[in-house]
Amino acid sequence: MLEVKNVDAGYGSTVILQDISLHVEPGEVVTIVGANGAGKTTLLRTISGLVKPRTGAITFEGKDITKLEAHDTVDRGITLIPEGRQLFPDMTVRDNLLMGAYCRHARDYQDDTLHEVLELFPRLRERLDQHASSLSGGEQQMVAIARGMMARPKILMFDEPSLGLAPIIVSQVFEVIAQVAATGTTVLIVEQNVFHTLKAADRGYVLENGRMVLSDDADALLQNDHVRQAYLGI
Amino acid sequence: MDTFLQIVANGLMLGGLFAIVAVGLTLIFGIVKVINFAHGEFLMVGMYLTFLLSTGMDVHPYLTAAAVAPALFVLGALTQRLLIQPLMSARDEHVQIFATVGLSTALMNLALLVFGADIANTPAHGVRSQVMLGEVRILTGQLWVFGAAILLVIGLQLFMKKTRTGRAIRATAQNRAAARLMGINDKFIYILTFGLGAACVGLGSSLIAPLYPTSPTIGTYFVLIAFVCVVLGGLGSIPGAFFGALVIGLVDALSGFYIGSDLREAVVFTIFLLILILKPSGLFGTRMNLSHVSP
Amino acid sequence: MTDTTSMTQASGGGLSAQKLGLIAVAVLLAGLIAVPVAVGDEFVYHIFITICLFAALSTAWNIVGGYAGQLSLGHAIFYGIGGYAGVILVNLGISPWFGMFAGAAVAVVAAIVVSWPCFRLHGPFFALATIAFLEVFRVLALHFRELTGGATGLMIQLNIGWEWMVFRERLPALLIAFGMLLVCLAVAWAIRSHRLGFYLVATRERESAAKAAGVGTVKVRLMAVSISAALSAMVGTFHAMYLTFIEPESMFSLQFSIQIAMFALIGGIGTVWGPLLGAVLLVPITEFARGALGSEAIGLHGFVYGVVLMLVVLFLPNGIMGVVHRFTSGSEKTEGEQAAPVAAAPRSAVPHEAGREVMRVEGLQKHFGGLHVTNDVGFTLREGEILGVIGPNGAGKTTVFNMLSGFLKPDEGRVSVLSPSGEWQEPATPADFATLGVGRTFQIVQPFAAMTVEENIMVGAFHRHPHVGDAREAARETAHRMGLGPYLNAEAASLTIGGLKRLEVARVMAMEPRILLLDEVMAGINQTDVRRAVDLMLSIRDTGVSIIAIEHVMQAVMSLSDRVIVINSGQIIAQGDPHDVVRDEHVIEAYLGKEFTHA
Repeated sequence: MLEVKNVDAGYGSTVILQDISLHVEPGEVVTIVGANGAGKTTLLRTISGLVKPRTGAITFEGKDITKLEAHDTVDRGITLIPEGRQLFPDMTVRDNLLMGAYCRHARDYQDDTLHEVLELFPRLRERLDQHASSLSGGEQQMVAIARGMMARPKILMFDEPSLGLAPIIVSQVFEVIAQVAATGTTVLIVEQNVFHTLKAADRGYVLENGRMVLSDDADALLQNDHVRQAYLGI
Repeated sequence: MDTFLQIVANGLMLGGLFAIVAVGLTLIFGIVKVINFAHGEFLMVGMYLTFLLSTGMDVHPYLTAAAVAPALFVLGALTQRLLIQPLMSARDEHVQIFATVGLSTALMNLALLVFGADIANTPAHGVRSQVMLGEVRILTGQLWVFGAAILLVIGLQLFMKKTRTGRAIRATAQNRAAARLMGINDKFIYILTFGLGAACVGLGSSLIAPLYPTSPTIGTYFVLIAFVCVVLGGLGSIPGAFFGALVIGLVDALSGFYIGSDLREAVVFTIFLLILILKPSGLFGTRMNLSHVSP
Repeated sequence: MTDTTSMTQASGGGLSAQKLGLIAVAVLLAGLIAVPVAVGDEFVYHIFITICLFAALSTAWNIVGGYAGQLSLGHAIFYGIGGYAGVILVNLGISPWFGMFAGAAVAVVAAIVVSWPCFRLHGPFFALATIAFLEVFRVLALHFRELTGGATGLMIQLNIGWEWMVFRERLPALLIAFGMLLVCLAVAWAIRSHRLGFYLVATRERESAAKAAGVGTVKVRLMAVSISAALSAMVGTFHAMYLTFIEPESMFSLQFSIQIAMFALIGGIGTVWGPLLGAVLLVPITEFARGALGSEAIGLHGFVYGVVLMLVVLFLPNGIMGVVHRFTSGSEKTEGEQAAPVAAAPRSAVPHEAGREVMRVEGLQKHFGGLHVTNDVGFTLREGEILGVIGPNGAGKTTVFNMLSGFLKPDEGRVSVLSPSGEWQEPATPADFATLGVGRTFQIVQPFAAMTVEENIMVGAFHRHPHVGDAREAARETAHRMGLGPYLNAEAASLTIGGLKRLEVARVMAMEPRILLLDEVMAGINQTDVRRAVDLMLSIRDTGVSIIAIEHVMQAVMSLSDRVIVINSGQIIAQGDPHDVVRDEHVIEAYLGKEFTHA
């Protein structure tokens, strides 16, 4: 479904990603783990078109999307829920969610999608007319996920969904991700919370200093000596 | 008392006039985050267009707005596309400032070159006649300007709150990267916004032209006052700019009478400086600004 | 923006390029005198006098607008003050040679009054504020007729002679204008090549990093503004004598202020010679248009200025000097990996022991709006100790760091530092902390992008070595120690992220701190470099420096730290020996993940 082939990318004169390849199949939950600064965020930004690869190719459903702008990849069905939530702070929760359905294929269904999404996040229903900035961190993350779903994506990418959240909220976030996956949406998660995310995923990649060093089933990675030593300190 | 009422009325009318110039400026600043130093020259260009069209075709200057506003929209959109957009990622802010300062200088001097330093008087077509509202005398043209300013503010507010495009504009202003992830074409939004801001002043120029003589330097005066209104009302806030303009109109009229007409501007700019310096939170909204720690 | 040629005594090709540049400037300056003398035409004299005046004003503006990056569009205030001071005093029978200094003194006062409140404003807001001040000055000059003559203007009494700066011939006027230009250029050059210039550029590029390096950012900006205002006023006095008539509209003109700034931008903002170049190229256009085409072409020169300005910002953002620089410096690009080895001193085998307390942190509290980001954080740091700080992202570690370095004031609680003389002090500002020997890095690297690696480190080195030569030497030494030796003359912006992290540490190390605060300096660097960095930190520690390090790289935290503090949700949830801390139940739950225990 999504295929990244030998991609190099970076900002200005700085190279962040080198020779990255990965693939995601329909209905899968795939995770990319790695330390802070390994290039995980850049990788997601490259797939979504916010960063342009220098070399290599990205294809989605068999079509080349390497050179597309971010707003075009959304129209193809690729939605990124960015690190740090990135809500529109001075807009209401409702307007935030409606912005999620801005892209062409989601526009006409926005009321139906809103209804479905609120079923999944009943707590947001009471918050619809509040400004996004007035919500707690956990609620904001829920809005961010809900906003991502409003685009009716074929693949939903999460960038550090547990960042800065209390442990109990983190568990909730991962439950929600599991529910999203259960609806048949393909999921790609980037996380530094290695355990949680590997537990939730089917397959995983390990990114170190801009290079893919490992790729395996999630369970196998959990038992991998290198992963245990580098990311779990044991 | 009659004099006082008359002064207040004059001040409010003047405020309406400032508002119609300031609204476009605050729109561009609020969304594109660029201070358009050439905004006054946009007004000047619009006034000359109004002058040329209304004298050349002998029509009421207000009717020319149908052509002037779209023309200014194009001028604004081109400014964004050709001048600002290439500089949006520039590391230093000074290049954007100088870009619009350069545009301002070029347009003003182009007008000097084409029209000379003499003033051009747009035919009044009756809008300079007075009406009595109770005890106070007001020009009909001033009333039209005031009404148009109110309609413009309400119209823009509705557009921004209720339409999909308006919401996309606000979203882009609040978080550009996130807006792109929603499928919003940010470059198009910026071009559209700059065009809209310029079209607002285009509309204003057709209403102002019959009241004020047009000259190449007319924009400088108006744009400086418009900056004051915009800062006073909270940068980027459309209703804020309107109320800021009313306050400045009143201050201008009252200080002109009670302090001295030659010191009006000094009063207005002193207020401006006090707000800039003492209440910078008003400039950047109420949210916390921690940029000094980790920009 | 960059002006590396005039600052770096670059090796090899750079030196000859610099010599060539100086010869070119000398030829240009000589031409300013020689051409009008050779031609002997009144009008040519006039053009060259005007060039000198604008070049001098623009050079003076550049000290504020270029070096300090404070974009003043109201510089005519100072020029006008100088002009009025000169004329008013002449009419009282006092020579403009005195009037000049009187004007400069008033201008300095005005500059401080105008700028001080405006420094918190950035970019366009600073520009707007200066415009507003200019308008106020203009209106006041129109209002106080007794002093200024109001709108009718002021004429000077025509006393001819050197003591009155008024001449029948043009040559003496040219000589004075030229002399003023030389003074302005000399001052601008001197600032740029001394500590003040480095501090100004550092403040412009990254204010917080400059503060952390001990730069009094407000003080250096006020100095720049005062010097610039004094020079502008002196030129203003002379110009008033040359014009023999002044009025508020021309002395306090916005268009005039914009022109001054424009010449600097077109020539090369922030460079020593750029404003001169800009004026030499553009002033003749004005004067020819005025002289040759007369009223026919009114507006032509302004139109050309505006268009040139737009073209320059679009296509030559570094001005003409940027082009010159590109040609002379050739291809000095640094490519590839910046992986020069970190030359860490071999560690002594002597077991390490922590000394007396050097920093006490007690009961820190901080709220941002409704968020309680720091809750009762307290600990002590001993001499020669490495204290590791870990915790999940968003736990408030960097907030604590900001309070330990004066960048944030705690709502409650205090931070005391032991001074070198042995007293406990409670510093408040970043400058106070720097003076006491507390140095910090930033999690998001903050290089002074327009400076070279060497110059970046020099900004730190100036803290202990006020002279450029000493600072350069100290900076080079630090650079070699940090493995940045090969990149001394590279622009900081060209380094990789690993290189930038090292530069961040090098700049602090050059301050020779007693307490070092390191914020995630190992994030994003490779395994080999992590090991080298660990060795480097241990060797720094062994010289008696105390280190507090926020780190995520657990391997580094474990091998480095004498003690570890774990922060979660703004609170310290555990502290002690690193090996005990990672076994702590709360730590595992909050940071390492609950499943850690079951794994």
